[in-house]
Order: sequence, then C-alpha cells, then structure tokens
Amino acid sequence: MHRFRLEFPKDVAAATSLLPSHRGPLTPRDARVLAGGQDLLGELKDHLVEPDTLVSLHRIPGLDGFELGEDLRLGALVTLAVIERDTALRERFTVLAEAAESVATPQIRTQATLGGNLCQRPRCWYYRNEEAPCIKKGGAECFAFGGRNKYNAILGGGPSYIVHPSDLAPALVCLDATVTKTAREGTETIALESFFTLPSEGSVQRENVLRANELLLGVHVPALGPGWKSTYLKFRERESFDFALAAVALAVRLDGERIAEAKLVLGGVAPIPWRARAAEDFVAGKPNTRSTWKAAADLALAGAEPLEHNAYKIPLTKGLIQKAFRKLA
Amino acid sequence: MKGARRTDGPAWPERDTLQVLHHDTPRRSAKDKVRGAALYSHDRRVPGMLYGRLVSVPVPRAEFEVDLAPALAIDGVVAAVKLREGETQFLGQAVAAVAAETPELAEDGARAVKLTFRELPFAITPDQALAEGAPQVRRGGNHSKVRPKGDEAATEEALAASDAVIDVTYRVPVQHHVCLETHGVLCDYRGGDEATIYASTQMAFGIPGAAAEVLGLDEKNVRCIVEHMGGGFGSKFSLDTPGRAACLLAKQAGRPVQLLNTRTDEFRAAGNRSGSIRRVRAGANEDGKLTALRIECEKLGGIGRGAGGPRPYHYEPGASYFEERAIHTHTDSSRAMRAPGHPQAAFASESAIDELAYRVGVDLVAFRKANLSDPVWHRQLDRVAAEIGWHDHPHRSAPGRGDGWIAEGIGFAISAWGGGGHRGAEASVSIRPDGGVAAMIGIQDLGTGVRTLVAMIAAEELGLRAEDVEPRIGDTILPPGVGSGGSVTTGSISPPVKIASYNARKAFAEHLASILDCPSERVRFQARRVFDADTPGRGLTWEEACRTLPKTGIGGHGAWDAKLQGSGVHGAQAARVRVDLMTGRVRVLKMVCCQDSGLVLNPLTWRSQVNGAMIQGLGQALFEERVLDADLGLALNAGLGDYKIPGTEEIPELVALIDEEDTREFPIGVGEPPVIPGPAAIANAVHNACGARVRSLPITPDKVLAALAKLEKEG
Repeated sequence: MHRFRLEFPKDVAAATSLLPSHRGPLTPRDARVLAGGQDLLGELKDHLVEPDTLVSLHRIPGLDGFELGEDLRLGALVTLAVIERDTALRERFTVLAEAAESVATPQIRTQATLGGNLCQRPRCWYYRNEEAPCIKKGGAECFAFGGRNKYNAILGGGPSYIVHPSDLAPALVCLDATVTKTAREGTETIALESFFTLPSEGSVQRENVLRANELLLGVHVPALGPGWKSTYLKFRERESFDFALAAVALAVRLDGERIAEAKLVLGGVAPIPWRARAAEDFVAGKPNTRSTWKAAADLALAGAEPLEHNAYKIPLTKGLIQKAFRKLA
Repeated sequence: MKGARRTDGPAWPERDTLQVLHHDTPRRSAKDKVRGAALYSHDRRVPGMLYGRLVSVPVPRAEFEVDLAPALAIDGVVAAVKLREGETQFLGQAVAAVAAETPELAEDGARAVKLTFRELPFAITPDQALAEGAPQVRRGGNHSKVRPKGDEAATEEALAASDAVIDVTYRVPVQHHVCLETHGVLCDYRGGDEATIYASTQMAFGIPGAAAEVLGLDEKNVRCIVEHMGGGFGSKFSLDTPGRAACLLAKQAGRPVQLLNTRTDEFRAAGNRSGSIRRVRAGANEDGKLTALRIECEKLGGIGRGAGGPRPYHYEPGASYFEERAIHTHTDSSRAMRAPGHPQAAFASESAIDELAYRVGVDLVAFRKANLSDPVWHRQLDRVAAEIGWHDHPHRSAPGRGDGWIAEGIGFAISAWGGGGHRGAEASVSIRPDGGVAAMIGIQDLGTGVRTLVAMIAAEELGLRAEDVEPRIGDTILPPGVGSGGSVTTGSISPPVKIASYNARKAFAEHLASILDCPSERVRFQARRVFDADTPGRGLTWEEACRTLPKTGIGGHGAWDAKLQGSGVHGAQAARVRVDLMTGRVRVLKMVCCQDSGLVLNPLTWRSQVNGAMIQGLGQALFEERVLDADLGLALNAGLGDYKIPGTEEIPELVALIDEEDTREFPIGVGEPPVIPGPAAIANAVHNACGARVRSLPITPDKVLAALAKLEKEG
C-alpha cells in the first residue's frame, strides 16, 4: 500500500490547510479527508486512491455536534448510529432516521458518519474494479453503459451511469436540508439539492460540488412543520445489508382525504438524489388514493431511460413510491 | 428396511436403548467458536512466520513472463517464487507468490512483481466459446462430445402423443462455495527434515504427501494439523495452489509461511459449482402421468468439466432421452460442491414437473407421487406438505395472483443421495488410570460436528457421558481418517470409532473380570459405573475401575466395517414464500426438509447440517451468481459485498424433520442431500404464489418483475 501521512489537525483551519490547493477533481495522490473511514479505507485497500496524506477530523472539536430544537443541526462527524437512535429526531424527521438505519450493518453505522455518507463514492462494479479504467477514474468510457449495468442509473445518466449510493442524501434533500462547507477562502452554505452534481454537469469524476480544498462541516435541516409525515423506503436486493436498488424518500402533508403537499426524492436510480418535482406538483390537492399514487409514480419515472439490464428499476421504483404513499396514508 | 443385526461383536444398539447417541448433544467446540478461541489455520501464528500472497495476471488469458526482482528488492519481502510458465487460462490463475514479514509487505511484494504479458483472445461465456473461430480452451475443443442416454425415437413419439407438452430452458449460473475461511495453509518448515502443515482442508491425510513432494521431504516427516477449518463444501481436497505456494516459499526462505487466499483470489480461482443450461421438453397426460422427458444439458465448468447429475432426476417418465455435454470457457474450473450437479438437475426437473402439473391441473403433491414409485418419497412429501400447510393452501393445482400488493405460495422438490462410508479410516480408544478416555482418529471436522460424534460413540460404548471422552481429531499423527466429501464422513469414521471403543471395552472387561470376580462377559459399563450383571447393586465407579489399570492404561483399535454403516437416502422439501408484487422481492417464510438417513447419531448436529443446507439452497435460489464482464474479462462481483449470500434477515423459519419411519439401524451421512431441493422448491413457490415462472437462478427482483409484466401482458 502506498505510504501516507496521517494528520490530526486540531481545528478546521488547520485541516483545510492540509487539503490540496488546486480546484480540479482530486487526483489519486491528493490528500483525503478521513472521517469514519467506511468508504475511504475500502478505496485505499482496492487501490482506487493512493493519497500521500490522510486528514483525520477526529481531533477537531464540535464536528460531532448534534442539536435538535425545532430544526436540526448535524455536524459532519455525527455517526449514523446516533441519527438512527435518537427518538426525538425519529419522531420529527422520520425519513432521516429510517434512512440512517437502512445503511449497511449496525457495526458500520457506529463508525460511519453523516459527512462520509454524503461524500461516499459510487459502488458501480467498474468504478470499484482497479483493472477497469473507467470514465469516473479519468478514463474515456463508462463500461457500465454497454456492460453489466443491472445496478446503474435509469435517470440522469451520461456520460457516467453511476447511481449515488447515499441513503441520507435523498432523505435530507426531501427535508430541504442545507449543507455548510468551508475552505481557506471562506465558509458557504448551500441547498443540499444543489450540492450534488450530475456527470453531465461539472466534472464526471466527482459527484458533488465539493472542491479538493473544501471540507463539509455539517447540515441544517429545517422543521418540516405541523401535519407533515415522512418515510424512507429502501429496496435492498439482500435485506440484511445492501445498497439500494431503488429508494424513496417521501414527506406528505395530508388534508383530510386529500394530499395537501408532498416532497418526493428517489435514491439508487440516478447519479444524484433525484427530486421528482413533477410528481410532487401533481399530487398536491389530489385525493389520497392508489390511483393518485400510481399516477405520481408514473410521472416520477416518466423520463427514465433504462440500460440493457436495469429496466426493472422502473416498475420497482414505481412500486416503492406507491408503497411509501400507502405507508403514510 | 431393517439393517442387519449382529449378535456378536460391535453393533449399534436398538435406538431406544441408546444413552448418548441419538440424543441432542451440543458440539464440543461451540463455545470456543463463539468466543473466537477456536484456532483455524487462518489464526495460527508460529515464531518467525512469514505471510504469503499470490500473484496473477490481470486478464483472463495471456502469454506472460515474471520478474521477481522488484518484489525481492522491497525491504521485508523475504521470498518469491514462480508458480507457472507460459500461458494463463483464466483470470486469477496464480503465476507467482511472495512471502514477507507482514501481510501488508506481502501485498506490496505481490504488486511489485513485474508481469510482462501479451493478452490473448479469450472466451468466457458459452456463446463466445461456441462462436465461429473462437479461441480454443481445451485441446479437445470448446465442448465435449455429447453423451446421449435413453430412447430418442420413443421419447419423441411419446411427446407427440401427450396431452400437455412444455419446451423450456432452465439456467443455473456459476455459484461459489464461499468458504468463510479461504483456501490455504500455514507451512511450518524451518529447514531440516520435518514440517507441519496447518491446513484448511477437508482431507488432512492428502496433505503430507503433497507437501512433502514440494518441500523435498520424506512424507512420514510431514504432519498435517486441522484443528478447525472454516468450510470446504467440496473445494478443499488438495494442497492446492496456495498450499503449494506456501511450501515453495517456506522452502526458499527456510522459515514458516502462511498463505491463505485473499477473498478476491478465493472468488476468482478457488473453484465453483458449475453452471448449466438445460432445455427441457416434457409431456404429461391428463391422468397426471409423466409421458416423456427430453433434456439437453450443457454444463458450464470453465476449463473443467462441470457436473451433470442423475438423468432423469428421480421421476419416472414413460419415455426419456438425455443429451449432455460440457462447454469450456476461459474461467476457473468447477470443483466438487455439495452434491455436485444435483441442485442444477433438480432445478430443471422439478420446475418442469411443476409446469406440467399445472398444465394438466393436478395437485402438485399428487402429481409428484404419481410419478415416483418409491414410497419413501411419498411419505416424505406428505410430511413436508402437512408441515408447510399445503392442505389449507388455496392454490394446489393452479397458481395464485395475490391481492395486488403481495402473494404467497408453496413449492416442493425432492432429492436423493448415497451417503455411505468407505474403508481406510481407523481409530484408537485409550483409557487411562486417572479415568480419562481419549478417542483418536485423524479425520478433520469439516464443520459438521465430527469431534462431538467421536466422543459420543466412545461414551456410549463405555457407559460414560460424551463430555467424559476427549476426542482427538484433525492430525495425521493419529489413526488415518478419510476425505470428507460425498457425505461419507459419518459412514467412514463411525465404524472404526465404534469398533475401537468396543475393543477397549472388551479389554477393560477382561481386566476387570478378576477384580469383580465374574466372567468378562458379565462385566457391564453403565452410567459411569462398572459392575457384574448378576449383582448390579455392587461394583465400582468408573474412576475406581480405572485406578486398577496399569500405568499405560488399556485400549482398543478399530478399522472400518461396512456392516456398521449404510447408504441411500431420500429427501423432500417444501418452501413457503411471499412475493412482493410491487417490487419483485421474494421472501422465503418457511422451509421444511424431511430426510431419512438411518440411525441419526446426533440429532442436534444433524438438524444443524440440514438447516445449513437449506440456507445454502436459499442463497443459490435468490442471490448467488458469479458475474463476469464478457468483453473486458473482468470479475465484477469477486467480493462478499457484491457476491451476495443470505444474511440474518433472509433466514426463514427452518424445520428439519428426521424421517422416523426409516428404521435402518446404522448411520448414513446427510451433508449433501438437503442442499439439493431448495432452489427448485423456492422457484416453484414463487410461481405458485403469483404465476411468475422464473427459469433462471438466482430469482432476483428484476426477473420476478419481468415475469410478472409478461404475465400481465398475456392477460
């Protein structure tokens, strides 16, 4: 394994000073940020990245902050286990708690962090294979496009067809969360929805706007407001532990027999958490019935362009959307 | 049928008189395994030990040259060897190996080995292998000669005359053994004339000869120890590539070397269960009789032959015809895997039987019984049908459709196996003056509870509790064992352990005759006491009796005797599944297995064996498949994250039923038969639930959704 320096900066400024100063996509040798290590260590062992420096965040005070009032503030180092176990959080931000508990295994969730979950790299078989010089790794081709693409994108694909592997991302986008990131030049808060980037926007080699020299500090989740209910339905091929084949983050506010408002974000089907605004607009004011759910599901998947082996994700995701509405009915 | 009973010499007592055997007995090593104290070859560390790693070319096929110098230039890399010259035949085939002071340095060394290679064209799918101008896989060509069996003309005639006919193709992909301990050994060699090999093997006695040859030692000076081993399932019968590499490296370094496959190596080059493609044409009449069966089978064993299985799979058609051939590809060779060929054959046969039963509208259990003459299967099918709730099930001759969200269904399948032992194993039992008893046989415990069984057999014979006997196994300095494959272990080792215990008891009785003042025939061993049968109230405790022994103690030896074991088992399974019609998820709710296997010596480990087999069958049914990229020649799911096996959430209610109507008074092995019917039973249950017929394993949500969509389209 490539030898690296493990740094333990004591504050954010010291941490960002250890990050690369260039603005391009990370090179394999560039310093990487180490939080829970659940994704990064796998990347190191698979020789996908071989950084000279790892910047641990664990001695920076405050990054594991957890503040739950009307709204919710979570530091980048809050573990998934903490998010999953807090009963007050679960009551108000159910979709987030359910997303957290759907990740991997209990062992992993005690180590894995919010920041790491949002910034994790794709699980595409070709990306994860050292021998495949795919477009995500600076190569010319997305091998999944014409290859074994059962787990790849049906929405928003091209020129890379990865799906974003995060479960927290669709849940937090559904909750209209914002994310705060910092660099030597300053700190910035943006909508989480605009944090993630399609491969056709920005660089195909990354999944978000975070620059090489930027550090994700945490997220802020506004209160959902009275009358809202939410849920996260994740479909795993193997329920014990698996990444999503498809996932649905849904929040609804009901008004008697009708749906007053809904927020619908899909996971596991696109290179970003996929907000289904047309479906959200459609259901507003409609009767809370299966035919509404079905029409919303059709609208959410209307633009899907499946590859050779993943057309099943269309009925699967439609089915999940209906199940999610049914669960909250 | 009743086993032959003998009045003189060792015999298994009537089962209702047994005190230790035939009673649930927890396995000896259970606590050690749970606490992590059990030592596997993976856990062994000896002074001065080096860690080995294999090196392979990153393409399926290449002409290559190896330069070890860059690896040896790394500080801490101690030895490096070439394992192969010329060409590679599949991805992951090892060409060299290195050994270093730490596992990390070994990996650095392995990556530093300079490979100069020219990639050669490859064929890794059957289509590629059979294409015009395909690169040659084996000297004899890319497929074997067709092996026909049966009467083709009569079969075609019967098909033409049948009331209902199906013509469908069933596919089973390559499945992996997924041994939790990967293949390999620790070769403890420090120069000199002797070596000890700690091996993860299912044939300890095959290791010393093979290792001695590599090390250049005398076989009698090489010992193999298998204290615990983490699964073999048919893939661990030889020293194998990692073992050979460890020996070569140890010889070069003059230091011990541990080399166990990485998980990637394990998936790419440690064998697999061959895939198969079976085109089935079969017919039945409205009276529920199977009229004709024609199967054309292609076995997909990579550079190996693959496994076929019996033809037909137990059902008795009026006429039958079979063709079988192997298709060779540039992929790792198949190896034996728990009932080689049988699950593939059963999946095709049992699915076809099911499809025909629905065509003619006959109850699925009745249809099976009408086409099986052996009454053992009849009673086993009845038993699993009752346990799974068949008689209250609404869809017994036509599939259900569900309620729009979910659907529930039941499926069946049967199996058969041999399970008898063979000669070669011997055992010794020694009784010490301090009361200790050791039962010794060198056999490895594949994970089935052999260690416990050895103690139980001796305890039964000597009137002791199982925990009073110290079983010593898994070491080639002990009396010889056999390879654990083909479900032969119980049938091979129970007779010699039984006879050795019997002989030790006889010798002890002779010794005690003068002390108890009675003829030796009247000396009884019961409940940790010895006494004269005529005066059971008097006598000695076990410890008192043992104190009368000479310092060297007393003992007995035993060899295999065919009369103390037997062969030939049946099995039937039923599965109940729930299909999520929205997502295509198949959840197995319950599996039931009824199995005959003669006298069950330890019902607890027997059930554990059967439960494990049902879980492995469930994995093959729903999850397991080797995925390769046919153009790039890459292994895409060569890891435990991407190659999915069942986890805790997937385990259904499991019911393992001993077929108590089997009154044979001798033991028969049960390792393999219960792994056979699961995939077929689950596939049949999916169809029964919702009408979706999935003809290729694994039954993943994409396939279920596609089958449901097809059903909807057809109305």
